[in-house]
Amino acid sequence: MIELTINGKEIKTEKGKTILQAALSNGIKIPNLCYDKRVVPFGACRVCVVEIEGQRKLEASCATLAGDGMVVLTDTPKVRKARQAVLEFMLVHHPLDCPVCDKAGECDLQELVYEYGKPNGRFVKEKKHSPPDTKGPLVELTANRCILCGKCVRICSEFQGRGALGFIGRGFSTVVQPAFGEAIECDYCGQCIDVCPTGALLNKSLKYKARPWTLEEKDTICPFCGCGCTVTLGVKDGKILRARGREDNGRNEGNLCGRGRFGFDYIYSENRLTSPLIRKGDELVPSSWEEALNYISDRLRNIIDSHGPSSIGAIGSPRCTNEENYLFQKFIRDVIGSDNIDSSAAFGYGLAEKAWEMSFGQSGHRIDLKSPAGKDVILVVESDLSVTHPVFGLNILKAKRNGSQLIVADSRETKLTRHSSHWANIKQGTGVALLNGIMKVIMERGLFDDKNTLKIKGFSDLEEILKDYTPERVSEITGIGVDELVAISETFAKAKTRMLTLSVGVSENTKGLDMVLAAANLINLVGESPDALQIPAEYANSFGLYQMGIRPDAGPGYKISDNTGKGISDMLYWAGPNMPDIRDADNGSWEELDKLMALKALYIMGTDPAVTFPDSSNITRRLKSLDLLIVQDIALTDTAKLAHVVLPASSWAEKDGTYTNAEGITQKVCKVTELTGQSFPDWQILKNLSLAMGKDLGIEDMGDIVEEINSLPPVHILPVNRSFNPVNYAWSEGTDVSYPLNMVVRDLLQHAGSMSTRSKTLGLVSSEARIEINERDAERFGISDNSHVRITSRQGTVYLKATVTDKVPDGTVYVPSHFPHSGVSTLTCHSARKGISMDAVRVEAA
Amino acid sequence: MLCGGTGCMASGTMKVKAALEEEFKKKGIGEETKVILSGCNGFCAKGPVMSVYPDGTFYQDLTPEEMPGLVEEHFLKGRPYQKLMFKEHEKKVAIPSINDIPFFKHQILVVLKNKGIIDPERLEDYITMDGYKALAKALMQMKPEEIVKVVSDSGLRGRGGAGFPTGKKWELGLKIKSDLKYVVCNGDEGDPGAFMDRSVMEADPHAVIEGMIICGIATQAHKGYIYVRAEYPLAIRRLQKAIDQCYEAGLLGSNIFNSGFDFDLEIYQGAGAFVCGEATALMRSIEGKRGMPRPKLWRSAVKGLWDKPTVLNNVETFANIPQIVLNGSGWYRSLGTEKSAGTKVFALTGAINNVGLVEVPMDTPLRKIIYDIGGGMIKKGRKCKAVQLGGPSGGCIPEAYFDIPVTYEAIEQNGAIVGSGGMVVLDDTTCMVNTAKFFLEFTADESCGKCVPCRIGTKLMYDLLNDICKGKGKEGDIETLEDLSENIISTSLCGLGQSAPNPVLSTLRYFKDEYEMHIKEKWCATGVCRDLCTFYIDESLCKGCGACARACPSKAIAGEKKKPHKILQDNCVQCRSCWDTCKFNSIKILPLSARKACESEIAAMAAAVEERIAERELAEVAR
Repeated sequence: MIELTINGKEIKTEKGKTILQAALSNGIKIPNLCYDKRVVPFGACRVCVVEIEGQRKLEASCATLAGDGMVVLTDTPKVRKARQAVLEFMLVHHPLDCPVCDKAGECDLQELVYEYGKPNGRFVKEKKHSPPDTKGPLVELTANRCILCGKCVRICSEFQGRGALGFIGRGFSTVVQPAFGEAIECDYCGQCIDVCPTGALLNKSLKYKARPWTLEEKDTICPFCGCGCTVTLGVKDGKILRARGREDNGRNEGNLCGRGRFGFDYIYSENRLTSPLIRKGDELVPSSWEEALNYISDRLRNIIDSHGPSSIGAIGSPRCTNEENYLFQKFIRDVIGSDNIDSSAAFGYGLAEKAWEMSFGQSGHRIDLKSPAGKDVILVVESDLSVTHPVFGLNILKAKRNGSQLIVADSRETKLTRHSSHWANIKQGTGVALLNGIMKVIMERGLFDDKNTLKIKGFSDLEEILKDYTPERVSEITGIGVDELVAISETFAKAKTRMLTLSVGVSENTKGLDMVLAAANLINLVGESPDALQIPAEYANSFGLYQMGIRPDAGPGYKISDNTGKGISDMLYWAGPNMPDIRDADNGSWEELDKLMALKALYIMGTDPAVTFPDSSNITRRLKSLDLLIVQDIALTDTAKLAHVVLPASSWAEKDGTYTNAEGITQKVCKVTELTGQSFPDWQILKNLSLAMGKDLGIEDMGDIVEEINSLPPVHILPVNRSFNPVNYAWSEGTDVSYPLNMVVRDLLQHAGSMSTRSKTLGLVSSEARIEINERDAERFGISDNSHVRITSRQGTVYLKATVTDKVPDGTVYVPSHFPHSGVSTLTCHSARKGISMDAVRVEAA
Repeated sequence: MLCGGTGCMASGTMKVKAALEEEFKKKGIGEETKVILSGCNGFCAKGPVMSVYPDGTFYQDLTPEEMPGLVEEHFLKGRPYQKLMFKEHEKKVAIPSINDIPFFKHQILVVLKNKGIIDPERLEDYITMDGYKALAKALMQMKPEEIVKVVSDSGLRGRGGAGFPTGKKWELGLKIKSDLKYVVCNGDEGDPGAFMDRSVMEADPHAVIEGMIICGIATQAHKGYIYVRAEYPLAIRRLQKAIDQCYEAGLLGSNIFNSGFDFDLEIYQGAGAFVCGEATALMRSIEGKRGMPRPKLWRSAVKGLWDKPTVLNNVETFANIPQIVLNGSGWYRSLGTEKSAGTKVFALTGAINNVGLVEVPMDTPLRKIIYDIGGGMIKKGRKCKAVQLGGPSGGCIPEAYFDIPVTYEAIEQNGAIVGSGGMVVLDDTTCMVNTAKFFLEFTADESCGKCVPCRIGTKLMYDLLNDICKGKGKEGDIETLEDLSENIISTSLCGLGQSAPNPVLSTLRYFKDEYEMHIKEKWCATGVCRDLCTFYIDESLCKGCGACARACPSKAIAGEKKKPHKILQDNCVQCRSCWDTCKFNSIKILPLSARKACESEIAAMAAAVEERIAERELAEVAR
């Protein structure tokens, strides 16, 4: 630590900090316009100049290292004169837009000019008058307000790793523009808007809607992905108008992605449910709550009486709060008496948990958003974490900038591959083979601590299976060279600190339980702590709902059940472990199989399986065959359209509760706006339904639920109990003459699940599913960029628009499953092995 | 030795060469004579130039047509060819030997010691002149600390303009531990009219290379870059050829002289930005980024190119190194003063007779450079007003102070800087306000735009000077200029902004009356600012020779032969051609108001002009 004096106050700071950083961390304010702690000091605005004793010139405090014994003065007449001069310069050509500029009231330039007195306006010059650039959908760039502080340029290129904005021109005529002055093409995260100190970059969706001081700001947790970012919502007259990040706020430290920043308006979409609906014939007819709840309770009672409680299933929601999910499983287990409860986490976080239990003997797998920092080696396998968990992705990029080696194994170009130290361009779906290959190399070369590792259960099984995964065979499977494989293996094995990360979820089709087990095997082989394997829970409350017991094999608090109910696979895809895979239609007609399926009723809360679950046409058929389908959601989803009863729920912004993010940190979700129509928070609906069924859940209000949850026995942290669970590289579907292309389903940055597709603002950037195909394949099949194509798989046919791009490899096409109208999920299959699906398709011009 | 520097090449060296060689062949002496293209000789005003050896006869103003005569006289008949010799400008006496010509006689060549006497495209020539001996000594007989010490002790200061002690920079470069270190040579030379570095790179590229390798040894760096502005294609070609020769000869690459020391060198071309002459901006440019300076969070010797320790020096600085290492620090210190040791190369230009490249010890007085070497004023009857030093970052020193030596301290004390060596001599036909405006126009255009004060401030200063020169100056403008200057200097990020106001401050210091005349009286007494002058023929002095009317481009002068002429103000474009032409001093430069004034008023103003000029001369003497 070093000591210095600022304005007479003695302060301490770490060596290597600048004067500005030392001052700010000690509560001393030095005005600045171009400083941001996330990027390298720039020194352009010159507002932060200070006097240093013994130095003739004024120095920029943001760009001068604090020295031991330094005496700094931040507010002398000389400094004030300099600041005033610099502000005077900025105002000479800055347009007097304050009355029509959305930034007024929270504009840094305005604040500084106000504080340092009115400059005497002695230069009367023509103001800059470039018209506002409104070409981009979300960000409005008004160049004449720009003071060229460079924060947007630097945040975008240094911090976000995108570089969509740059300086063009020199000297007085310099402007900040996207490349070649064309429409901005970027990630649409909006970080540049939050960082701009003037009204040069504005949120277009907010334009002219509210003055900043008329917005009431409230913090809540973002409802999209598992990062659990704190988002500050701006509310006016009960309506949410904007979302922003505040410096240092939350697990995201003030950073937000496009979804968090622009996607909140999904709660205002036209198909919000405002009243309960009951099916009468072919139509869903509005009804009263009384009618709807009575209808449900009557039908449920009948089904329980005729077929028993285990004929009823339930699907919980990663968008609902912990309290609601807890109450849901309590309703299903205690009131209905069924253990058939699961969620979309069955495709994602549930698999990670399972692998955790199998490989390390632990439960409650959590990540640490800050874990990439300081790691020697970070290995990312077949995952685009910058898209699925943007803030986690940012921390990975930050670690790389600070010296970590980032090895990314992926089949296509992504932001992570672009910034990687090494991109291992493996074929899609071959992650398991790669991991096995790495383990084989490590074993052969003795790059592990064999004293302890040999003792781990299953080691000899692992050795046996790995015999097939020689570098040559793995090279053949994955497509990377033998030398490359060996280099990666050695680097990973020899690292002092390491991290292995990947994403799993319902919206991806090339990874499953096998992948997580293979990754866990590798961690066990090198004797690394289980923390080194970081698989983030997919959605806002995927971790939370699992902890609350939305799973067939355990109750709240990871308490393993005595009776294991049916999970998603059994409920929706086949009739039971002894029954054949439903796709094997030779074994009988669909009707027979449906009869065999024991489910008669399904209660779906906050999930849209008809759109987002794989092999969705089969699911639709399955749902239609039920005697009772109850859907409780905020909007009339495709799944809801199939229901017998639709119950309107309140959105995330309309209720209080908690979400638990992928780090296992429980954070408060706050009610910021009033309930829509006749909707109720999910927990209230459950309470009322329970009463309609004549049962008391034993809770009156939210407080009671919280109390019950808090009184759950604490989760014991068991010692790590390692075992190897060797897996083989296998796939369920392959290409052939009729289906010559592999199809990979991956997320888009602008969306998470299907909920975000109801946001108008996000829809301005991305409103339709596109199939990405490379130039050679496009030529082969006669596809041109932006044309309509017909995509057929063994499960179904779908029509989409094509994007021809060189970011994807030969023989593979990429599609997202977010969009209800696209029907992409009808193309995918559900693998019996819980391994990878590897769907195959053919593509023709339509 | 025929000068192959860019200046002479532009004046037709290659045609002269062809003619010369053809003539030699024709006369049958092709085998006994050889025409070698050397680097820039320095005597650029008289190019193409040539020295004939072994006798050392110097010829200037060569043309292809003169070659037959020259060959016949000098080479066949043994009679040096008077017609093309240097003629001392007053008495027109021909001086045949290069060592007797004042321009060359008074110079002491260190950096330029090989100019005009070697073929820069032959490594052997350089070696013959003790080339690469210093490298051998540094590599075999000296430790890195010892090399740093000899450079420190020599007192060599950075010749790019900042004058930072070179030894101190190398010491820091050696001290920092790193796996990768760099040596960078700044060959961007952006000052308008400066060509010292260009001449060194064209005439003696190996001197720069040797200096850089020695720096690599001293600081334990193994990779060097020479950043040359793209506008110097000949320098780039010569340097690249020299580098290729070095690789072939094992002077660059791995295991130089079997010592185990590796050094690689590469040229990187600039892309047309003055600001890339600033060290940190230069490094960003090499990194492929936008050329903007970086705030000095760390010195470049600690974190420079790609955030690795980098020692950056100017071309001239490196060119000094081999001789310092070979001859010792004492030898270098014997030239110059204690604080300004050694010699400095100047690009001597402006209103003097002998324009060109000059190298003198740093304690040489300005007067000697301008009069003895420069040969005094070129325009008959004109006096020297001031000398502008240091380009757009520098200032003017009036004639009264010409006895000061051209050391860093003395020049700075008097309001200018030595800078990179640009020296422009201004005579009394120069408008100092216009000079300041010229430099501000340059700086404002070249500002990178990153920091607020330079980006906007220099433009405001230029606009204000432009307004003053156009007649829109008002009370308070001088104070505004001074205030702007102070603000820009105290808050700018890099040297460009910090020194941009210097030309204004220095001209205000010594020539404030010119500013006041421009602002208050709307009068540019030198007739340069067209909106602030009126040209008037004093009929009592006019001889009616008609020379002015013939020079006038816009038919604005009327008059009969041998009768007093008259200027028609409506046609006059104030180009000053008439005034430049008149041998009888009959044309007066009057204020703007004279254009609309009546005859008697004009006559009174004309008379007053003489008085005012006399007044100012007295004031000059008094200073």
